[in-house]
Amino acid sequence: MLTGFVTPVVLAGVLLAFARLNDGAWEPGAQVAGICRELLAGTTQGRQALFGSCWTAPLPVLVYLPFAWLLSEPLAGWVAFFVAWLFAFWAVREAVKATGQSGWRIVLAQAAIAAMMIVARQPQALQFTTPLTMGLVLLTAASLADWAAFRRLRDVVAAGTAGAFLVLCGFPFFAPACVAVALIPLAACGDDESRRRVQAWFLLGCLPLLYMSGVWLLLNRLILGDALFFLRSLHVLVPNPARFSLAMLLPGAMMLPALFLTWLCDAQRAETGAGPHAASVILISFALMLVCTTEVLGRFGLGWDAPTLHVCFLSILMIVLARLRQPVYRLAVALALFVWLTTLWLGSAPAPVAVVPREQICREVEEYVNARTKYGRVFVLGYAGLDLLRNYTGERLVANMDLHVGSVRRAYKGQNLYVLVPCPEGPVRAESVFWKHPDIYRHGGDRLLFAGAFGTWHLFEIISAPTQEQLDEWKKAGEQ
Amino acid sequence: MDTGVGRQKGEAVKNIADIDPLELARRRPEWSAAQPMTRQQKRAIVAIVLVIVVALIFAPLRTAQILIGFCTLFYVISTLYKFAVIRASLSPSAIMRFSPEEIASVEPREWPIYSILVPMYKEPETLKQMLNALIAMDYPADKKDVQFLLEEDDDLTLDAARTLTMPPGFRVTKIPPSFPRTKPKACNIGLYLAKGEYLVIYDAEDMPETDQLKKAVLAFEASPENVVCVQSRLNYYNPRQNVLTRWFTAEYSAWFDLQLPGLSAMRAVIPLGGTSNHFKIDVLRDLMGWDAYNVTEDCDLGVRLARAGYATRMLETTTWEEACSVLPFWIKQRTRWQKGYIQTWFVHMRRPWKLARELGFVNFLHYQLLIGGGPFSVLINPIFWAMALVWFLFRPEGVSHLFPGPIFAAGAGCLFLGNFVFIYINLLGCCKRKNDDLMWWALLTPIYWLMMSYSGWRALFQFFHDPFVWEKTQHGLVKGASE
Repeated sequence: MLTGFVTPVVLAGVLLAFARLNDGAWEPGAQVAGICRELLAGTTQGRQALFGSCWTAPLPVLVYLPFAWLLSEPLAGWVAFFVAWLFAFWAVREAVKATGQSGWRIVLAQAAIAAMMIVARQPQALQFTTPLTMGLVLLTAASLADWAAFRRLRDVVAAGTAGAFLVLCGFPFFAPACVAVALIPLAACGDDESRRRVQAWFLLGCLPLLYMSGVWLLLNRLILGDALFFLRSLHVLVPNPARFSLAMLLPGAMMLPALFLTWLCDAQRAETGAGPHAASVILISFALMLVCTTEVLGRFGLGWDAPTLHVCFLSILMIVLARLRQPVYRLAVALALFVWLTTLWLGSAPAPVAVVPREQICREVEEYVNARTKYGRVFVLGYAGLDLLRNYTGERLVANMDLHVGSVRRAYKGQNLYVLVPCPEGPVRAESVFWKHPDIYRHGGDRLLFAGAFGTWHLFEIISAPTQEQLDEWKKAGEQ
Repeated sequence: MDTGVGRQKGEAVKNIADIDPLELARRRPEWSAAQPMTRQQKRAIVAIVLVIVVALIFAPLRTAQILIGFCTLFYVISTLYKFAVIRASLSPSAIMRFSPEEIASVEPREWPIYSILVPMYKEPETLKQMLNALIAMDYPADKKDVQFLLEEDDDLTLDAARTLTMPPGFRVTKIPPSFPRTKPKACNIGLYLAKGEYLVIYDAEDMPETDQLKKAVLAFEASPENVVCVQSRLNYYNPRQNVLTRWFTAEYSAWFDLQLPGLSAMRAVIPLGGTSNHFKIDVLRDLMGWDAYNVTEDCDLGVRLARAGYATRMLETTTWEEACSVLPFWIKQRTRWQKGYIQTWFVHMRRPWKLARELGFVNFLHYQLLIGGGPFSVLINPIFWAMALVWFLFRPEGVSHLFPGPIFAAGAGCLFLGNFVFIYINLLGCCKRKNDDLMWWALLTPIYWLMMSYSGWRALFQFFHDPFVWEKTQHGLVKGASE
């Protein structure tokens, strides 16, 4: 009750209050609320957005969807944030409890992680996706470690399932999740009986991840016509994709010493499993793997999710501390020290960037288009576009995930068409429009004529010959 | 629930003519499936069908969306429920365990008389196997009270019984022919002739683990007074006979090794398995035994126990059975099971408020999802699979309109995630039983579900046309089982 309900509720409430009080512009569902809006409207854009990018992954959207359906903004965001933290604290409990530690150790670990979030003041970590991802990372790592340590069937299931869901949290977690899941059958090889059952561990441990990946590929094929659509941005984002892929897998090497140690302990121990020390080594290796992954992504200029990865890394280390057998007071001191040290690691919060409010951009674009034509339609591109249109209720601006100038011209024959392009900075660089039209933001494109700048957005008009109806209407208007 | 204490309460009767095997149906018709549906239930069904038809005529799209929304909600809840049950099965309280050392530690002691009922019909080939299995059971010979319940006109099995030498305490009870000719009717006669403190039922082809009776006694003694039933786990001794037995074993492993223990841990109403359920005999007599008109009398009894405030626990001991290996027989068996679940649901839903009061709200929900939800899902599954297939192949606009935004998301989630969860549970069941090679076959479980849906629709048809027909499962199809 204390660790499974009271403490998580209190701490999640504290984090919610902290986020509300300290950042007026805080929006917990910023990345996903726009996609949910389209999904609830049943549009193709929503379905494309749900599966179309490895950077805006489907799991947070799917988790947020019921809240967006049942509640209005910003309440949906707050409730989702609260529930996501409940999940994260539950994951902390499961990760610590597995070693048979008492309730107060779990409470201390949960409180330390909450304190870290408050002390670190990382705006990105206050998105609802962070606790969701962190919870899955903790479950994956702790279950893998416990599987190696105690050989319990439940740990295979937990590691395999959590790893599979972790893949659905975005590209930065692909490699860690795959490595963790691949280690499930391998970790069993140190023990004779477990080794004989490798096919069972493979199916239970690896199948969920393979299945989830397969479904993602299939839905890309069905919805976007290309099974690898969600990965295509990598070709543009990194100059040498092969080298990048290799570099992404390299952090996995951090797990090899832990694996060998597991085998060694397994072979030497009379009991089943490699024991709690091997589990600690696996957890620490996993945490280091996350740091190395962050480093690799940063080197290739893709370190957008670094705060989330860092939070996951630090949380795992706190879990390791909480799982060690030591007096509670010593654990409390160690965790407090650790929380303080995290401020050094995470650094101070970046200064807030002044941005033009979404509503203002939408209104200005609408006014601009209305001033020129009664039949205007503005296609707002990509995930940034979905976010821009979150609270937009008009009909002039519509979301577009996969720009095909020819198609929109055919679909909206006779209308004046515009394209609103986001600035290709940070994660926006991964939008499909930029790997199809790399210079669109600066130079427009075939039949795209620059019309104006609105905040950081550029508006382009799609040039097309007027239709007969338009000519007739103009003629009529001229006569009057 | 007013248990309406049975006429022959507490003690065995000596004369078979004094026994009324249909006592439940006569004295408490509202608890019996003798009348499959009450007039009010028939009216309610007709009214619901009429409302749906009229709504489909006047607002077809909206009505279809509402129906699909309801089914999708059901799928979402079922998937989450399965997840919760499996998680609960990890609890230490999910199953009662007794090691050989624990059994040895209580001996020597006086063990109570244990009655064993073995209903058989035209199964001469399994009689010897059953007799040997019962003799081999590790329980004092003078405390075993075994009855082979054979129909008077079943000459084949009676002849086979005459050729065997039965040890003391073993006897054949001849069941006089009368309607309905069902296993529960025979068991009711056996129940009132039984002399034991506890009672268990085994099917003709069963091979219980030898220490099962002792474990059951210890389980009763270690449990609170209201635990009056202990369900053993069932599994198959012929899992690798063919693909059907492989799937069947995977399903059974998931049901008896994961889901029932999960339900037990949640203190939920437990639909008993057809065999190897151990009872306190006086409580069973108080409840007037089994409903002779219900073709899954075990499931019904599980619900009646819960309604009367009694509890069932799972016991870690296995009874090995023969998996049905021939598709037509399997279809018949599964049809009977599904029909029995439908019967049971209608019997207990005659007065839903009373049921909810007696079971409690949470157990009422368990009841709806387990007893009502099982047949409902196998009936609607083919409709949704067909729609998914049509959408994947042809992308018709019509199908998209049936699934507005949130329903589409939830439906897609159930299609891709829900179905996987159900397959994964079967994998887990196989793994728990160390049938690792069967796990690959469990991946093909969706084909098995198609067969279940076929049986489900057949069961629904039978429920209205032949509610009491007992399609008997043919046993003895595996070579060398008796050895």
